[in-house]
Amino acid sequence: MLWLCIQFPKLSLEVLTRAQHDSAQPQAVVEQQLIVEANRPATERGVETGLSLATACALCADLQLLQRDMQREERQLRQLAQWGYSFTPIVSTQPAGTVSAEGDRFACLYLEISGCLKANGGLRPLLQQLRRELRQMRISPLMGLGHSPSAARMLSQLPEHRHWLQQTQTPPSPQQWRQWISFSPSKLLDCDNKTIAKLYACGIKRISQLLAIPLSEVGNRFGRGFVDYLARLNGSRHDPMPCYQPPAEFHGELFFPSPLDNSEQLLFPAGRLVRELCQQLQRRQLYSHQLRWKLDFGRQGCKVFSVAVSRPMLDPQRLIALTKLQLERIRLEQPTQALSLTCDRLLPLEENTLDSDLFDGENQTQRSHQLLDKLVARLGHEALSGITLKESYLPEQAWASADTLVLQSHHSSKGHRLQPIQAPRPVWLLPRPDKLQMRGHKLFYRGEIKLLQGPERIDGYWWQHNRHSRDYYIAQGEDGGLYWVYQDLGSEDWYLHGIYS
Amino acid sequence: MSNAENLLQNKQLANHTKQQRLRQLLARPDIWRAANERGHRRNGIDSGYASLNALLSGHGWPRGATTELLIDRSGIGEISLLLPAVAEITRQGQIAILVNPPFIPYAPALANAGIQLEKLLLLHPRGWKEALWAMEQALQSGCCGALVSWQGHRPTSDKDLRRLQVAAREGDCLHFHFRPLSAAASPSPAGLRLQLGGDGEQLTVQLRKQLGGQAGQKLHLARSADLIRRDRPLH
Repeated sequence: MLWLCIQFPKLSLEVLTRAQHDSAQPQAVVEQQLIVEANRPATERGVETGLSLATACALCADLQLLQRDMQREERQLRQLAQWGYSFTPIVSTQPAGTVSAEGDRFACLYLEISGCLKANGGLRPLLQQLRRELRQMRISPLMGLGHSPSAARMLSQLPEHRHWLQQTQTPPSPQQWRQWISFSPSKLLDCDNKTIAKLYACGIKRISQLLAIPLSEVGNRFGRGFVDYLARLNGSRHDPMPCYQPPAEFHGELFFPSPLDNSEQLLFPAGRLVRELCQQLQRRQLYSHQLRWKLDFGRQGCKVFSVAVSRPMLDPQRLIALTKLQLERIRLEQPTQALSLTCDRLLPLEENTLDSDLFDGENQTQRSHQLLDKLVARLGHEALSGITLKESYLPEQAWASADTLVLQSHHSSKGHRLQPIQAPRPVWLLPRPDKLQMRGHKLFYRGEIKLLQGPERIDGYWWQHNRHSRDYYIAQGEDGGLYWVYQDLGSEDWYLHGIYS
Repeated sequence: MSNAENLLQNKQLANHTKQQRLRQLLARPDIWRAANERGHRRNGIDSGYASLNALLSGHGWPRGATTELLIDRSGIGEISLLLPAVAEITRQGQIAILVNPPFIPYAPALANAGIQLEKLLLLHPRGWKEALWAMEQALQSGCCGALVSWQGHRPTSDKDLRRLQVAAREGDCLHFHFRPLSAAASPSPAGLRLQLGGDGEQLTVQLRKQLGGQAGQKLHLARSADLIRRDRPLH
């Protein structure tokens, strides 16, 4: 077993500020009147973890204070677990502790990487890739490698070990680990402050000293739990970890410390979320038909819009372009405080459905799907429609509006095809029959019209109350136009129903 | 010796590139040469009417260009004029798009004309700006075979038409644009301008302008016999 522990010491700050560009303004996260974490400009001016709010403000007057948001941190950690899951199936998380709880611990992620070394080209490339992707997400990690999760966690706090990890090519041997562990100072042990104080009082400064004492003696002094922990650290006992199971959905969220009031500014964070989504989807071989975006206006409510994708697509650039078209349509009434992207109903990608083919770059159907996606994104669903035949006697019910996105995807002809009626029918149908004027025995529509052919009797729905019985004629107007007119047999009124165009 | 050879070679090369450039220039669709008239390519799309094909320079509707149709009233057979070409395009698997049609395109009639209805898309954008954007995107995309558009309430400006014409050239798409007769007097960047009229029995087509071809001819196309057959009056 080879466990990698990634600690996120600055997660409480980064979860709130990673959406923005590097800012020169000092910022700090506060919980219960204490500074939890400060960014670089603030640290340079002496603001550090554990300071009281008053002291920090005295040191740095223009300090921007952000309230710590544990829920957001937890969500971010879950998302990181999902990210880790794309490397290895054995992932475990540990949430951060609060300031008041004893033993100030950071949120961390455990990955069992012995199974994925080969696929990623060895230890060094894997670690480099992990670091690079975390940098892209703007999250700073501390990494440690160990034969058990407890050991990995302890070693991630040891600067010498981290330094070694930067350069190493191969995982160390068991002896090397023992050496690392015995070399570590006792304060790195994952136990409460009281126990550590007791250890130092006994003169045990390094773990090697602790391991030299017989275990029963240690048990007498520090309790069974501590002995158990030591055994797990040593590798002489199993170190069980709750295993993370990813949900079949994606949720990403970015928070803006200073709210954005321009939809163009939203493009940059939206692009970041889309890239994270595409990475996840590609690794898990899933796709989504719909990206649901949510603009959070804080107390003023929120706005939701969605981007529909007609075909599986994992290209972030195209998804960003579609999102951009939607964002352009939106006018922000209130400044946006957070942007989130949700994709539920992720579907498995099948071999023949993927958009990008290795050999032929773009074919006709792909391009038409891209065009339709673009049109839907900018004009909205309601502006696009198709038409189909319907089986009905009544002319106005012999056609139906169809959803274009559905009709584009089935290529093979279905077994049963509707056949249109074999009679001269007009190209244009009026949305609603237009009543014709009648003076003497003559009909008028922009001048007098004369009947050429007819009648063709259409008598539909005689079994219902609203019986339609009509005599249809082809008529010619004064100006040469050919019209489709009918006489309603009930009321004997004349109507224009279509134009032979 | 070698200097002289070099000079000779350079001269030949220069001549060669000049000729190539000339050939490129002559290959442009907007340059018309009388000498080419007899043997030029038949790159147009069959309109379905032999007499109309004979008048058009590409022996069919010009591909990758805007065709302007000037008309004042509907019902004289203006859509029937386009239907054979549009039907052929949908049969080839390309999309045909109607932007802002004035009435409901009636499915049974279109299916009878041979149009694959699942390849037909109707667009009703909210304003002219949106419509222009959508038309440009569709024309450029290269997957749309034919686009038929109707001028909205506002007259189409010269600049907009030029945009559409350029987009149609990029996407190699058939573009038909309906405008009222009042626009006939103003110049237009369209590749082909037809004025349509009719008396019910036949459709009159007058060529107002044709890039790379002659203009001014008039043509009468009879309407379908099924439509203009006159029954004995009942009353």
